Amino acid sequence: MEFPNGLKYTKDHEWIDTAAAPVTIGVTAYAVDQLGDIVHVELPKVGDSFEAGAAFGTIESTKTVSDLYMPVAGKVVEINKAAVSNPQSLQEDPYKLGWLVKVEVKSKIDASTLLDAKAYQHFVAEA
Amino acid sequence: MADTDLKTPLYQVHKAHGAKMVPFGGWLMPVSYSSVLQEHQTVRTACGLFDVSHMGELQVKGPAATAFLQRVSVNDVTRLGDGEGQYTAILHPDGGMIDDLIIYRIQADHYFVCVNASNTDKDYQWLLQQASAMAGVKVTNESTQWCQLAVQGPKSTLAVEALLSPVTKAQLSSLNYMQIMPVKLFGIDGLIARTGYTGEHGYELYVPNAIAERTWHGLMETHSQTGIQPIGLGARDTLRLEACYLLYGNDMNDGVSPLEAGISWAVRLEKGDFVGREALVAQKAAGLNRSQFALRMNEDGIPRHGMEVFKDGELVGVINSGSVLPTLGGAGGLALLNPKKVAVGDIVEVDVRGKRKLARLVPKPLYKAKVKS
Repeated sequence: MEFPNGLKYTKDHEWIDTAAAPVTIGVTAYAVDQLGDIVHVELPKVGDSFEAGAAFGTIESTKTVSDLYMPVAGKVVEINKAAVSNPQSLQEDPYKLGWLVKVEVKSKIDASTLLDAKAYQHFVAEA
Repeated sequence: MADTDLKTPLYQVHKAHGAKMVPFGGWLMPVSYSSVLQEHQTVRTACGLFDVSHMGELQVKGPAATAFLQRVSVNDVTRLGDGEGQYTAILHPDGGMIDDLIIYRIQADHYFVCVNASNTDKDYQWLLQQASAMAGVKVTNESTQWCQLAVQGPKSTLAVEALLSPVTKAQLSSLNYMQIMPVKLFGIDGLIARTGYTGEHGYELYVPNAIAERTWHGLMETHSQTGIQPIGLGARDTLRLEACYLLYGNDMNDGVSPLEAGISWAVRLEKGDFVGREALVAQKAAGLNRSQFALRMNEDGIPRHGMEVFKDGELVGVINSGSVLPTLGGAGGLALLNPKKVAVGDIVEVDVRGKRKLARLVPKPLYKAKVKS
């Protein structure tokens, strides 16, 4: 399972790319593997604002529904409509094709709440 | 998972196939081997192999076996000949369903009964208690001695034939839907029933634990001719939902009657008295307030167990089972709704996590079973 080095991760299994503004957010390969076939993705509207840790959408497999949690506080400026119309793209490529939202962060990101690739890998290995 | 979850004799086989294991009905069972959607498709187009050894097997024997089963079940056991089975239910005196099950008549004084995993103990205790009041019948629970393998799909006959001698192969070809036949597999006595829970043509094999692995591998060896693949409980659920087969615990429970659950075709009120009959007669006379409907979503969103259903803003019932419908496309499910408020053809709204999504009530089944072909 791949966890790209350039990304940050949360214990709720989202990834965030903070290299450019707006930041890009998606779910990790581990989350995708745990869910199985992803059949439905529900995302917020452009313009919606969320606090860090707030549920901003849902991802459904054949069997279960999981909430998506914001890694940072901010405003949604773009959503991946292609991922909504083709949820399987999350399985094929959770980090590129399967990104979910782009967010304009509200304040400076609290880096202490995020994990790097190595720490996340360690976290899921223990799960 | 609880440490008390039982493992079927095929547990290691599932692990070797890379299965994701989940607790279900007190057992640790494979939910998926690769992809639920692919597994679903495999059963519809080729052949799937399911370990459903969690299902319970009871034997009812004795000169009063027929009279006993006639008394405790809703269908008419006297309609069965040797080697024939029927879908039925056992009820509480108030009409609520203890379980739905299949009763096979092996011979006049011997019935083989297949029940739901999570209800096996409850059913067995209930039947023991009922049998204690009657002479000439003995109920035994053999669930832990039997493995059940379901072979389902258009290529299933070819797969099962690989296990059989020329003589039994000929018998298999004349086995009709809902019939059962004794077989020797690897020299050991087992049973093959032409039944299933997928809506496809197929079989359920009952084999003693000792030959479960050999039977599994014997079936899997037909892969190059049949395309057979192991299938988990995830696809079993989407397959049965499309065919509108009920799942105990989701679609009905101790508080739902078979009339409400939508299996009145299996209820023979005219056969004479049986446990729960009086309650059903009263319920029928008063008119049902709940009835099982099938629905398909008109909008995105997937109905799930427990979601509320509205008609013109009024609450009319709840979703019992819901999922994507891989063969049909879109999503849909089964819902227990008030038939005085809604009818097939109506547009209703499903509350999907706070958002009302439009759905239409459609005739059952969603997918027409090919079990008799």
